[in-house]
Amino acid sequence: MKLSVQLAPKNKRGLLLANPVMTASGTFGWGTEYEHLFDIQRLGAIVGKGTTLKPREGNPQPRLAETPCGVLNAIGLQNIGVEAVIKEKAPIWAGWRVPVIVNIVGETVEEYASLARKLDGVGGIGGIEVNIGCPNIEAGGDEFGAHPDSAAAVTAAVRAATSLPVMVKLTPNTGDIVGVAQAVAEAGADALSLINTPRGIVIDIARRRPLLGNVRGGLSGPAIRPIAVYMVYSVAGAVKVPVVGIGGIASASDALEFIMAGASAVQVGTANFTNPSAPIEVLEGIEEFMAKEGVEDIAELIGAGRG
Amino acid sequence: MRQVVATVISNEQLWGEHRVLGHLKFLGAWLIWLKCPEIASEAKPGQFIMVNCGEECLLPRPFSIHQVSDDGIALFYAVLVSGKGTSWLSRRKKGDTIKLPSPHPLGNGFSIVSSSKNLLLVAGGNGIAPLYFLAQDALKGKRSVTLLYGTADNKRRSIPPHIKLVSATEDGTVGHRGMITDILPDYINWADQVFACGPLPMYQAMAHMSELKNKPVQISLEVRMGCGLGVCYGCTVKTRNGLRQVCQDGPIFELDDVLWEELADGGV
Ligand SMILES: Cc1cc2nc3c(=O)[nH]c(=O)nc-3n(C[C@H](O)[C@H](O)[C@H](O)COP(=O)(O)OP(=O)(O)OC[C@H]3O[C@@H](n4cnc5c(N)ncnc54)[C@H](O)[C@@H]3O)c2cc1C
Ligand SMILES: Cc1cc2nc3c(=O)[nH]c(=O)nc-3n(C[C@H](O)[C@H](O)[C@H](O)COP(=O)(O)O)c2cc1C
Ligand code: FES
Repeated sequence: MKLSVQLAPKNKRGLLLANPVMTASGTFGWGTEYEHLFDIQRLGAIVGKGTTLKPREGNPQPRLAETPCGVLNAIGLQNIGVEAVIKEKAPIWAGWRVPVIVNIVGETVEEYASLARKLDGVGGIGGIEVNIGCPNIEAGGDEFGAHPDSAAAVTAAVRAATSLPVMVKLTPNTGDIVGVAQAVAEAGADALSLINTPRGIVIDIARRRPLLGNVRGGLSGPAIRPIAVYMVYSVAGAVKVPVVGIGGIASASDALEFIMAGASAVQVGTANFTNPSAPIEVLEGIEEFMAKEGVEDIAELIGAGRG
Repeated sequence: MRQVVATVISNEQLWGEHRVLGHLKFLGAWLIWLKCPEIASEAKPGQFIMVNCGEECLLPRPFSIHQVSDDGIALFYAVLVSGKGTSWLSRRKKGDTIKLPSPHPLGNGFSIVSSSKNLLLVAGGNGIAPLYFLAQDALKGKRSVTLLYGTADNKRRSIPPHIKLVSATEDGTVGHRGMITDILPDYINWADQVFACGPLPMYQAMAHMSELKNKPVQISLEVRMGCGLGVCYGCTVKTRNGLRQVCQDGPIFELDDVLWEELADGGV
């Protein structure tokens, strides 16, 4: 049975995953935290926490709220900064079989480029995921990924700064997901991953104010799954680069929805919190499904559910 | 290693609804025993576990380890008014199974200095949860333990055996009438170390107590948690020593290290 997928077919190094199941940024640490719980080397890939040029402290408490079938988070990109990632984490990853992808976030186009330059050529890093769901400080605070031109500008700058495979992570907080996807693919992305979290607010009625310290948060979990499947379906029909599906995946059947909608791989996020071995269970479930249905190659399933 | 599937040995209600300063806050307190030898054998007082509270809870819930036996652990939990997870937990019956995302006890736990003979434990209401285990553990080491225990009334208490108990109740039915922090200063001199668990206002009162300034005081901190494993950064607080993740670096902190004003504003 063939489970491997190539996420960067046009890139010299390529980004070959042994199977299509990855972990989502911000929900799986650096991989090391789960090593004692199960064999993380079985995963298709691990995506690290959103990384910025300088370490960031993140938002005030509370940072998490539970909503019906969802989680609203406003962590505020607390992270150790790119230098520490390169010095402390990458050497560990260099000894792993599973590829690790670094998720980068900037406040300006130049910051994204500079992050990509720093990561270029560092051993142990299999690729870059560009999180364009961050407010564009130079352009009034809309997310970079809200508009095709700003999304393309970030992508082009990152592309020019590194030879690593580049996957751009799309935000659902846009009126034109297909336009953004096409612009990003055009600007040189090897792959697209989607979706990041749609924005939300929870009001604490006892205190008469927003529950989260940051007021706004990003919604994840099964609550966003149909929206994510819709966006993957729309984008996969409009671009030629591989698409990675993210949003509320907790089981193999959830993952298969995305794959049949056109995703070449998937990422498991919030489900890791209640079940750290969810990604492995998703993988085993996909294998079972393929065995039962007589599917030889996962490629036969990619896009198989498009009407 | 897959999730731990723990079997419920027993789950009993200790008492019904209780108020804090007149407001209905809890629908009751419960004691649940779970069979999970892997956690029981490793557990230290002050550590906690994450509990999956049914399909509808996308985040596991943190609970302190309240007691341990050879093959299991007990949790002491309060069912919150409109608390999704805690009310689910209260409906579990003997023989049901409960999933725990991690097979290890989590967090740092209290630390007793080897030279400490006199341990002063300060419990505010449900804060008895981790201190019960601490009291039992400390007695094994031939130390003397005094528990200052503040509750709403004399019926809503869970008292560990063989310790010296000093009570305060809001309604005055037993012990001092009022807050446990009113009488705390009288016991500080005796203590080599102080360990506290209770609501935020109790910690704030303690942080302002001049008598405690030169005492080592460890407290257990409550914030919302996502993973319990140090990966999500949901539990980060600012301390005098910089950012700390409550699930990894805590939940036990030195009283002085926590910036109480900032936390008070956030709430949980
Ligand atoms: C380290 C630690 C140890 C704890 N030990 C105990 C214990 O031994 N006994 C006990 O009764 N309670 C304990 N708590 C508090 C307990 O975790 C909450 O009461 C519980 O999560 C509430 O869940 P719920 O679904 O009923 O409430 P809901 O309000 O429905 O929960 C919604 C979300 O908010 C979180 N949340 C709500 N209140 C709290 C709170 N006070 N602290 C942290 N998160 C909260 C929940 O975990 C959940 O993610 C502890 C908390 C921490 C951080
Ligand atoms: C606590 C938390 C932290 C996250 N941090 C990041 C991040 O740093 N960078 C990023 O691109 N996405 C981040 N995400 C978004 C996830 O990677 C993912 O896109 C989203 O949660 C949807 O997937 P899910 O429903 O499976 O969780 C975070 C999500 C959560 C819940
Ligand atoms: S609860 Fe996730 S980092 Fe502490």
